[in-house]
Amino acid sequence: MWTYLLEKEFKQFFRDPGLPKMLITFPLMMMLIFPFAVSMEIKNINLVVVDNNQTVTSGRLIDKCVKSGYFRLVEKSPTPERAQYLMDLNEADAILTIFSDFEKQFEAGNELPVSIKVNTINGSKGNIGAGYLSNCIRNFVKEESAGEMASAGSNIDVSTKFYYNKYMDYKVFMVPALIAIAITMITGFFPALNIVNEKETGTIEQINVTPISKSVFILCKLIPYWAVSFFVLSSCLIIAWIVFGYTCAGSILTLFIFTALHIMVTAGLGLLISNYSDNAQQAMFITWFFMMVFMLISGIFTPISSMPLWTQTITYLNPLRYYADAMRFIYLKGSTFADIWYDALGLFVIGSVMMGWTILSYKKSK
Amino acid sequence: MKEFFKFVQKEFLHIFRDKRTILIVLVMPVVQIILFGFAISTDINNVRVDIVGDIRDNKVREIAERIDNNKYLDVVSEYEFVTMINDRFRRGKSDVAVCFEQDFSKKLEKENSASVRIIGDGSDPNSAQVIANYVMGIINDENLELGQGGIDRGGEMEKMMPPVKYQYNPMMKSSYNFVPGVMGLILMLICSMMTAISIVREKETGAMELLLVSPVKPIWIIISKALPYMVLSAVNLVTIFLFSHYVLNVLVRGSLSLIAFVSFIFILTSLALGLLISIMASTQRVALLISGMGMMMPTMIFSGIIFPCESMPVVLQYVSDIIPAKWYIIMIKKIMIEGVGIAYILKELSILSLMAFILLFTSVKLFKTRL
Amino acid sequence: MENGNIIEVKGLTKKFGTFTAVDNISFDVKKGEIFGFLGANGAGKTTAMKILCGLSKPTSCEGYVAGFDINSEQEKIKHHIGYMSQKFSLYSDLKVWENIRLFGGIYGLKRKDIAQRTEVIIKTLGMQDWKDSLVGTIPQGWKQKLAFSIAMIHEPQIVFLDEPTGGVDPETRRKFWEMIYDASEKGITIFVTTHYMDEAEYCDRVSIMVDGRIEAIDSPKALKEKYRVNNMDSVFRILAGGALRQ
Repeated sequence: MWTYLLEKEFKQFFRDPGLPKMLITFPLMMMLIFPFAVSMEIKNINLVVVDNNQTVTSGRLIDKCVKSGYFRLVEKSPTPERAQYLMDLNEADAILTIFSDFEKQFEAGNELPVSIKVNTINGSKGNIGAGYLSNCIRNFVKEESAGEMASAGSNIDVSTKFYYNKYMDYKVFMVPALIAIAITMITGFFPALNIVNEKETGTIEQINVTPISKSVFILCKLIPYWAVSFFVLSSCLIIAWIVFGYTCAGSILTLFIFTALHIMVTAGLGLLISNYSDNAQQAMFITWFFMMVFMLISGIFTPISSMPLWTQTITYLNPLRYYADAMRFIYLKGSTFADIWYDALGLFVIGSVMMGWTILSYKKSK
Repeated sequence: MKEFFKFVQKEFLHIFRDKRTILIVLVMPVVQIILFGFAISTDINNVRVDIVGDIRDNKVREIAERIDNNKYLDVVSEYEFVTMINDRFRRGKSDVAVCFEQDFSKKLEKENSASVRIIGDGSDPNSAQVIANYVMGIINDENLELGQGGIDRGGEMEKMMPPVKYQYNPMMKSSYNFVPGVMGLILMLICSMMTAISIVREKETGAMELLLVSPVKPIWIIISKALPYMVLSAVNLVTIFLFSHYVLNVLVRGSLSLIAFVSFIFILTSLALGLLISIMASTQRVALLISGMGMMMPTMIFSGIIFPCESMPVVLQYVSDIIPAKWYIIMIKKIMIEGVGIAYILKELSILSLMAFILLFTSVKLFKTRL
Repeated sequence: MENGNIIEVKGLTKKFGTFTAVDNISFDVKKGEIFGFLGANGAGKTTAMKILCGLSKPTSCEGYVAGFDINSEQEKIKHHIGYMSQKFSLYSDLKVWENIRLFGGIYGLKRKDIAQRTEVIIKTLGMQDWKDSLVGTIPQGWKQKLAFSIAMIHEPQIVFLDEPTGGVDPETRRKFWEMIYDASEKGITIFVTTHYMDEAEYCDRVSIMVDGRIEAIDSPKALKEKYRVNNMDSVFRILAGGALRQ
């Protein structure tokens, strides 16, 4: 009985006009485009300078800032109003104002008459921009007045070292997470449309009138998604290796085990939604809702620890939190199953509930 | 014209009969805007710090306490051996380890220098860097205090700190940045998912042929399909907006009518995008998957909500330019938070209007040839 | 079962909210007969039939289908019945032989038996040319015949047919009824709903449902005599003339 149902699911999948194409293109898109786009690094900050001093010294300061590589000099504005106008237009992220007594004060060794204004709608960007600028100014003072200023030998000698990621490459951090997203989306969206499609075409009735057991039917719907997810996982790992030269620090088998656990949740959820939906559009909306929530509060893009407590609590119900965490830990740090047993436990608990609920909610008779 | 109103009436009845879908469409964005509005923030806090070294050492304990007192950092564990750090990182027990050399205080006293090494978890390079800077700042403070009495370095440093003015968002609330972003993301995706099914469904059931033999022009058929969704989107917009303002406390400095107008253009663009998908797709399933699954990631990544577009490679910056949400988000930030008028958003507004026009135009063209 | 009845139903009622789709009906179906379940659209035929097949739960009912209790042994009933729904419900994205194979497999037939029956079905239907076509691409009449054959692949005791000849041409309808007679000759009980009154003439016995109730139940001949008319259509008009649901 199993084999016949599985055969049917696989054949239907491959005969669909869209699904196999999406299965191929989606991981490609995820691995070839998005790693380049996801960068938290703040570069190309648009800088506007209002230079009221117009001296060689002030020129050198501006030069210094531009050469730091973080800024793009938009223009030297004649008036503060003009600079503000540019900021309102979103053409300027930061404004450096140099007052007319700049050179005089600088030579006297007094406090420098400069001020910084940053656009902080995006708080972290503004903050970092201000930080870069202050740094430039500080370095300027240090270099220009070297010799004069006695450099006090620091008592505590601080050095930094980073494990796992020598070149501090942000792409490698996102790759396992993007794989997790690709797998979650495919194995969440595809099954969501599956049962509801059988409902809409009426084939489900023909199945319901047979003595087939509910759990066999649901499991046969689930198994193909294991195959699908393993395909996606393998192809993504291979692409990451060929294109970026990244390899998994931990055991690939562990990656597969976690993926298998995760599919219980995502495909289970998809089938569950499919069970409860009247039509494909409903199923799609609900799945989309969950996918967005899973993704945006999983810690993939923004840290969970920065969330308020109540949302942090909600993330414990989010399977992607566990899965993405596990993928990153295994891929980047080589964590073993024993190291991150808690992620496995989380996935297993949610997965079992999901599967149980799906089977129970599937009613052969109304 | 009479037929047109008949069509519109029919579409309204058809869509509003499905109460469950309507409920879903209206409730979903509210839940999301609240959840994401609170949850999405790129701040880094509650950092877990390990102290590695001899904790009985006076100076080490002093610095450890200093670290623990910092509002972003919490000391979670203390141990002696550097070899344990890897294990702690791999288990996800800590984010950074601060390692003190042996006989730290003694060395500091006798040789006037002792070394500390900050070991970060580089798997997340961005956070690791920020965290390392936090810790470094604290140790430097300690350094300054040690140096007091000698040269007045504190004052010297102070001189080099120019005053910084934080424009528009002095409290540095992350919601100012993310709420407009999430608004754009949700609106665009919901709108295009709603219309994505409208035409392909009729194609599948064969009802389209009935429409085509009627004397109504294709443009009017398309408009009659989009109108009910326009109404739903308008309701969505208002609720999202009210929640952003009253629950998430996002300021609204600019004019409401301008926001409404800009949003109208944006909704129109998104609905037109959905229609285009619907016309091109062969089955409902494909249309739904493209609008729901296919568009989710590109919109999220390329609209600049989380990852700044300016930092992307040039080719991808061009890609981000074709995402309608990007332009909407820029405009909404300008109007809501900067409070500027229409003169300041002309560029973005014309780009978005052009997009709306092209999408509608292509839809009508394809609608004629495909059916 | 002892008295030769394969279906016995007493007091079958199905309510949807305040609407009573099937109102306290009782009837028996004898083993091996062709039982016509007649009624206008909306009279409650399909609802009653779905309950007998275990697709729907009755609000209240006592009775047996193929020797099993309708309320508690629905899954056991399913081993012994075949069902062909009003809405064509084979998988249109599977080929003809794949559909046969799938349902054979679901009913637990052996691989060898499936292969053999596939052969037989395709041959009897004369579908050799369609064997490898997707079911979605073959003409409606063939689809119906295929669906009927598949409903009987596990040699059930009863086959339920819900308006099997809806939307097909007269010639196909005639052939379809030949298939029904063939099945009946093999001892399979046929339970068929229809609103074509000429088809009612082909049944051994018929029941006529009006507004959720059975108004008459007997052989077509007896009914015609009782109402003194010469065709079933007239019988139906007399009985259903006062129907409220149309």
